[in-house]
Amino acid sequence: MTPLLFGPASRQLFGLFHPSEREGATAVLLCPPFGQESIRAHRLFRVLADRLARAGVAVLRFDYYGCGDSPGDDAQGELEGWRRDVCVAHDELKRLSAASHVVWLGARLGASVAVLAARSGRADPARLLLWDPVFDGNQYLAHLRERHVDALEQSFVVPDPAWRRELARKPEAFGSELLGYEVAPALLAQLRALDANALPLTALYETTVLADPEDAAARHWADTQLARHMPLRLLPFKHPMTWTADPHPNNAMVPAEALQRLLAEIGN
Amino acid sequence: MKETPVLFGPDRSLVGIVNTPDAEGKMAPVACLMLNMGANYRVGPHRINVKLAREMAAHGISSIRFDLAGLGDSGQPSGAGHFMKQVVLDMQAAMNLVETMLGIRRFIVIGLCSGSTNGMATAMVDSRIVGILMFDGYAFPGRRSQLELALHRALAVPTNPAVIGKTMRWLKRKFSAKAAAARAPADLFEPVPREVTEEIFHRSMTQLVGRGVALFFLYTGTTHVRDHGRDQLGRFAAEPYARHIDYRFMGEIDHGLTSLASQRTFMAAVCEWALRVARGRTPGQQHAAAKAAPAEPGPGLSLNALAALPDNALRPADAAAAPEGQPQATTKTIAG
Repeated sequence: MTPLLFGPASRQLFGLFHPSEREGATAVLLCPPFGQESIRAHRLFRVLADRLARAGVAVLRFDYYGCGDSPGDDAQGELEGWRRDVCVAHDELKRLSAASHVVWLGARLGASVAVLAARSGRADPARLLLWDPVFDGNQYLAHLRERHVDALEQSFVVPDPAWRRELARKPEAFGSELLGYEVAPALLAQLRALDANALPLTALYETTVLADPEDAAARHWADTQLARHMPLRLLPFKHPMTWTADPHPNNAMVPAEALQRLLAEIGN
Repeated sequence: MKETPVLFGPDRSLVGIVNTPDAEGKMAPVACLMLNMGANYRVGPHRINVKLAREMAAHGISSIRFDLAGLGDSGQPSGAGHFMKQVVLDMQAAMNLVETMLGIRRFIVIGLCSGSTNGMATAMVDSRIVGILMFDGYAFPGRRSQLELALHRALAVPTNPAVIGKTMRWLKRKFSAKAAAARAPADLFEPVPREVTEEIFHRSMTQLVGRGVALFFLYTGTTHVRDHGRDQLGRFAAEPYARHIDYRFMGEIDHGLTSLASQRTFMAAVCEWALRVARGRTPGQQHAAAKAAPAEPGPGLSLNALAALPDNALRPADAAAAPEGQPQATTKTIAG
């Protein structure tokens, strides 16, 4: 595994390249979630990358600009820039691995960014694997605002009751600092506009979606794409990982169900 | 500011990022070690290590943030030794790397939660560590402090649903068979008796303060609602070494630094303290300098020479001021 900075000098990105340990033509680009969800998935993706590399699949993990170890501040994060980051990372992975077949694995908001990047035509992924994708930006924002207040209440020994009241009364409350990450107005507006219509697929690559059977937004998005005759499979997948929480005894750091399922789907 | 990804350690299995200020001429002769908080990876809770490293670099202080063996992106421990033994080896490997890259031989450990234990253990065997942030680290609240906290919570119950929820969850954890089963793996390890922890703490503090190591005990609203001076130190607050440490209670911030305001308050306090460590102006350093022979010269300046520098010698100490609109933290420096 090699840590590296790549991309144009004005917008460098941090990445970790896992070279394949056996000959193989496939590589995987991991498009991480946003904010706390990215921290939560970090170790899982590290283990997944190791397993894939051992099986002959090169992997590049990376952080979007303004996220993780990449340069940039929280407030500089926005979807258009992250979409370009995916394409830059794709080129870097192809350069490092010489793979002919690059699969993009996008998780949560990373899945949405992957769809936007694939649609742009600036990269040529062979396949998209989308895990618990975010296809309803307003629902996602409401979820993160709720979890933000949950986190405050769990952390302070005597929480301030005003937080919960503010959450209920003001639709914009805590929207600019979701679970410890500054969210700029541009990103906030992009997330509010994120829905099934904003994330069209093209027929150039196959797409597999792993989502909770009760995820209505994923079902609606898949129906919309299937109606457009896009090559898409929506597969039910329940797992115990809580995206927004730190690991704890009932919320394993590397849930075996997720690891096995992702390995199997990439292997397919 | 420059950030350099590195692989280091005997088998190059440790992963980290070295941050250095732009102008090397203004580089402070101390660097910060930032490590994992719990099992989360090197960026820290809500990316605070990245934000702090960049803030430190803006003030002339270099840093390395890295994953200990077995955590984050770093490889597995090389041996089957005790976890703390491996921690010390990893932290020494990080110091060796920074010494080689930057010529810096004095280090401040940014110890968040479990990191404070790691920092203290390493400082006991490696004199290159000249400062340790103990963020919600060791705490020995006495009976009065615990009763006061219980009273605060009881008074909040009628009007504060979140406290009711916390109490219900606590009861569930305490009495639910399922929750007890979930806790079972922790019982596989021999718990360290409180007396042993207290003895280690006392012995370490005596030695570290005697050596002039700067210690900053910073506690948050996750530990208590208020503090009457040094409540979290319990009976150790009366020990002679307690006069030579920095102690602050910040009830408005939380352990996970969840809000952006918490992060700004935390970074301002830690940067201000780190700059004082760099200049040899913490209570512990001044105490040691007053009673002992001149400190051993390092690659840059001695502690005494640093103390004589004007405040703007490294960078303006503007980090000392709380951000506009933010509440000033309750400061309780124990000195003299």
